[in-house]
Amino acid sequence: MTATHHVRIDRRGFLQNTGIGFGGMALANLLADPSQGAPRRPHFTPQAKHVIYLHMIGAPSQLDLFEEKPELVKRHNEPCPEEITKGRDFAFIGKTSTLAGSPWKFARHGECGHTFSELLPELAGVADEVAFLHALHTEEINHAPAQMFLHSGFGRGGRPSFGSWVTYGLGSENEDLPGYVVLLSGPAGGAGTSLWSTGFLPSVYQGIQFRSQGDPVLFLSSPPGYTRGRRRRELDALAKLNGQQSEATGDPEIETRIQQYEMAFRMQASVPELMNIEGETKETLALYGASAGKGSFANNCLLARRLVERGVRLVELYDSGWDHHGGLEKRLPQKCRETDRPIAALIKDLKRRNLLQDTLIVWGSEFGRTPLRQGGNSNDQGLSGRDHHKDAYTMWLAGGGVRGGASYGRTDDFGMDIAEQGVHVHDLNATILHLLGMDHERLTYRYQGREFRLTDVHGRVVREVLV
Amino acid sequence: MVMESPNRKVLGGLLLLLALLPQMTRAGAGREAIASPREAGTRIRFEADIRPILASKCWNCHGPDEKTREGDLRLDGRDEAAHVLQADGEGPAVLIDRITASDPAERMPPPTSKKPLTEQEVHLLQQWVAEGAPFQAHWAFQPPQRVVPPAVQRASSVRNPIDRFVVQRLEAAALAPSPPAARETLIRRVSLDLTGLPPTTAEVNAFLADRSENAYERLVDRLLQSPRYGEHMAVPWLDAARYADTDGYQNDRYRYMHVWRDWVVMALNANMPYDQFLIEQIAGDMLPGATLMQQIATGFCRNHRINSEDGSIPREWHVENVVDRVDTLGTAILGLTVGCARCHDHKYDPLTTKEYYQLFAYFNNVPEWGVGPNNGNSPPFVKVPDSWPHLTDAENVAQVPEPLKLRRARKEKGNGLQRPQPGNDKTVMVMQEMETPRRTYRLVRGQFDSPDQSEVLVPNVPQALGAFLNEPPHNRLELARWLVDRRHPLTARVAVNRMWQQFFGVGLVKTSENFGVQGELPSHPALLDWLAVELMERGWDVKSLQKLILMSSTYRQSSQATPAAYEADPENRLLARGPRFRMHPFVLRDAMLATGNLLVGTIGGAPAKPYMPPRIWRAISNNTYQQDTGAQLYRRSLYTFWRRTIPPPNMVNFNSAEREVCVVRKDRTNTPLQALTLMNNITFVEASRCLAERMMTHSEETAEAIEFGFQVLVARKPTPGEAELLRAAYESFRQEFDQDPDRAADLLSVGESPRNEALEPIRYAAMTMVASLMMNLDEAITKE
Repeated sequence: MTATHHVRIDRRGFLQNTGIGFGGMALANLLADPSQGAPRRPHFTPQAKHVIYLHMIGAPSQLDLFEEKPELVKRHNEPCPEEITKGRDFAFIGKTSTLAGSPWKFARHGECGHTFSELLPELAGVADEVAFLHALHTEEINHAPAQMFLHSGFGRGGRPSFGSWVTYGLGSENEDLPGYVVLLSGPAGGAGTSLWSTGFLPSVYQGIQFRSQGDPVLFLSSPPGYTRGRRRRELDALAKLNGQQSEATGDPEIETRIQQYEMAFRMQASVPELMNIEGETKETLALYGASAGKGSFANNCLLARRLVERGVRLVELYDSGWDHHGGLEKRLPQKCRETDRPIAALIKDLKRRNLLQDTLIVWGSEFGRTPLRQGGNSNDQGLSGRDHHKDAYTMWLAGGGVRGGASYGRTDDFGMDIAEQGVHVHDLNATILHLLGMDHERLTYRYQGREFRLTDVHGRVVREVLV
Repeated sequence: MVMESPNRKVLGGLLLLLALLPQMTRAGAGREAIASPREAGTRIRFEADIRPILASKCWNCHGPDEKTREGDLRLDGRDEAAHVLQADGEGPAVLIDRITASDPAERMPPPTSKKPLTEQEVHLLQQWVAEGAPFQAHWAFQPPQRVVPPAVQRASSVRNPIDRFVVQRLEAAALAPSPPAARETLIRRVSLDLTGLPPTTAEVNAFLADRSENAYERLVDRLLQSPRYGEHMAVPWLDAARYADTDGYQNDRYRYMHVWRDWVVMALNANMPYDQFLIEQIAGDMLPGATLMQQIATGFCRNHRINSEDGSIPREWHVENVVDRVDTLGTAILGLTVGCARCHDHKYDPLTTKEYYQLFAYFNNVPEWGVGPNNGNSPPFVKVPDSWPHLTDAENVAQVPEPLKLRRARKEKGNGLQRPQPGNDKTVMVMQEMETPRRTYRLVRGQFDSPDQSEVLVPNVPQALGAFLNEPPHNRLELARWLVDRRHPLTARVAVNRMWQQFFGVGLVKTSENFGVQGELPSHPALLDWLAVELMERGWDVKSLQKLILMSSTYRQSSQATPAAYEADPENRLLARGPRFRMHPFVLRDAMLATGNLLVGTIGGAPAKPYMPPRIWRAISNNTYQQDTGAQLYRRSLYTFWRRTIPPPNMVNFNSAEREVCVVRKDRTNTPLQALTLMNNITFVEASRCLAERMMTHSEETAEAIEFGFQVLVARKPTPGEAELLRAAYESFRQEFDQDPDRAADLLSVGESPRNEALEPIRYAAMTMVASLMMNLDEAITKE
């Protein structure tokens, strides 16, 4: 053990005495503590360095966006055949619900011929960048547990989020900003902050929420009466006093604390700079449909680009309002109008800045929606709403390492069940980790005497949609 | 553009390094640091050298779990492994062949396991087999035995038996204990440890002036009798008991359990023996002639989250309620990861899935509903008399809870979800036993809808822990009594270990949540057992045992050491110095409120809603946070309203437990968010202003005022160098505010408490900044 400690001292001394530019990852590698076995370098060459995760809270209807089902449309409003619902639990609807076809038109787009409904014209315009997983399935039928399951591989909370795993696995690449940033448009949804919590991982890996109103990071602004100069002088005095204490006690924790105050001071400048989109060109703002001072999804997409540009490893966007048990015909088009353009803009903007090749975009939700109608009455010919559906739904990937235009998985004629090429949430998470250069079976953390993984004891990399 | 600057990049990298350092130093110490290195030529020690290898590399396929067992081979016990390990058979040679084979098809563990043996591990296994492959039963499953404290050379370092165990270990490592801490340090340390509050300057001065032999002992006695003791000591138990003011999950609506929290504070203040403390919380409702107090204590078993999301399946979430009770029992009382056996036989510890559901059976007989009322307490609950907590004898009688009444949540549409009637804020949730217990089955893979109906399970405790019993505990009350049986191997050890963890920062068993095979070995096994036996023989007298620990030389050591000493033993596992670590977030806030004379001492009652950043709850739902005003802003942190899905950020930033599930250990990080919180959060800024007021009222002389404030915060006087630095800072702030008087007024407006109009604003603002600076000192937020 003594030897290990010597190594660590040498590392520290080495770092303090050299001026060469390490990236955070290289540093992290250097720091890998063999006694802990913590992975800090990718297991193999990563294809993506950053992730932008677009989580549509509440579950968009895949059957009205990506999944064209003529049979379902043909039999719209007919009672659902019993063999289809056998053995299934639904959250709200009874098994006697009627089949519900989509009222929207679908068309093929791009060279790949991906199908999109008319609700997503902008995304359809970048069809060839997108790879679909059409037969995703999960374990939970309610929002909070399913959200936790998607992000932590476990439906009951207490486990590290995907983002924490990634930050733990790879360290951070940026210098003045947290490595894992969360942006919300609307409420976060049932699972709350646990979606970006570290669970049992050390809390330095937690996601930090950047807010559109008030302090962008909680407690970022100095109290009234402070100026930046005054804060600087305060911190100088603080550092001297803490330095003396460090010498008196010998506890290295104090030196760390001094550095954390410096980081905090720099965040006080870097975060507001980041959040201020006024310097973006009119063209860029228009591309996203963003406008300064709003907490919109469009603004968040633009911020996601700005974060990735600055080396932030992981950006999660949560957009709420997708839980359409009723009023789907009005509310889904509205949500699509809010998000379609910004998402397409994000893809285009990253691409023209040569960032898309390093950035993985994930779009999806905790589950999908049923081919059965919810709400309305028997005389009602419309759609009304759809219930939660965990057995087959769609998510898509784009960017670093993803084979744009690919499509994997197919559901049955009703969209109720997987016909072939099913992908479990654990498989999705294994795939994302793979793109980041990590083997999901080796990214482990020991807790309560056991090696834990994001993918538990499951997971298969879906190579079919990778470059 | 940030990324273009190479210097900043280096700096950033360095900061990352520094951000990671505490994790690495603190977490990385590992097994090696505690188990003293085995000397060359000595025999293999099974617990330290072999079991960890077998457990992490072999038992997944060759351990207790039948489902995953390969080749009908078990390596988890002498008898089980006899056929391959008998020295005269061919087994041993075959075993060695397999672990050293170069052919991947032969090699064990197989490459697919991704857990290859290291060269060192192969050597250890070879030597172990050569020595006849002795097994040893896991230490934590054997009852603790009274040990005679060892003799040591350094008798002058021994005040009580605890020190003998510690000094012996130090002497073996050729180390010496540290000298006693300065008296100012000691009174601050012990005050923070027993009451969660720093000593007042008057208390410090009185202690410094008291040169009598037993001054320290009287100090400890006084603190143990303080009503602040129970409030402070309750916090780790509330974390373990996952106490909160909301239900958790999607809706996360209100519940009312603060009466149970008050019960905990009162029980601790009254020094209720730990055995009784457990019995009443697990089965107080079943005690003969149960009082209302005892019934309320069982709220412990009802503090789990309750799902009330529309569309939930009640059967499913009922199982989750019961599972949470079992898992909490496991972590908080047994120190075992029993939850592993919910879906499969435990991979490492002797706990089968069947045994898990037999434990489950004790907690499965509550007349409850799996889905909550979506605001308010879930049945069963009882009415709390208005006189609480001063109950009359007539009131203090257990009540029969109002029976469960279900109503349809949606009249026509939907799946017909039914919800129970809600209990209002004059009720508290309790345990109740159904007359006819529910049938309990093993749930295949832990799934609520896959009961194995071939066998109805009777309640029982795991065989490995209950071997001393003639017959199994039949119900929850008997289960509780079994936990505190003098022969129980775990309960007392787990309890004293948590006390140790609270005082020293790390338990004697570092993994305080896991005493099982995969947990860490104790740093001082004999001391742990001695303390466990002592606790039981003192009639589970908690305060008396705590006093014993606090009276030891070990506790009273100085925490100052050389950097080399900190490097060699970052977690202080050998105890060659006193404890030094950043305060718990609750203590941090309470201490700063106290130094600003803001703290309101009211004990108990409905939760308080202190300052929160605006709109913070909006991230979750449309519920708004109705911030309190006046005294409720300054209550102790244990009374802060705890919403599980969005707990108070100024607490979470300092690693408070989230209270979703049982937690008995949290890491202590050091992050920029903590710096931002302490510098800018309204609570701390207001406290600085109020401390500044105290300083200026204390003396009109700047230097004296600063010295006083410094003493209030850290209990010692500043050195001349420190005093000069602070005075210079004050002067520069004052000059700046002179040029900018409006800003002085701005700063003085922070917080709801009125500013002192008699004080001159420029000096007041400058002094507020000095007070804030001092509150941000590492020393001010650290127990040392």
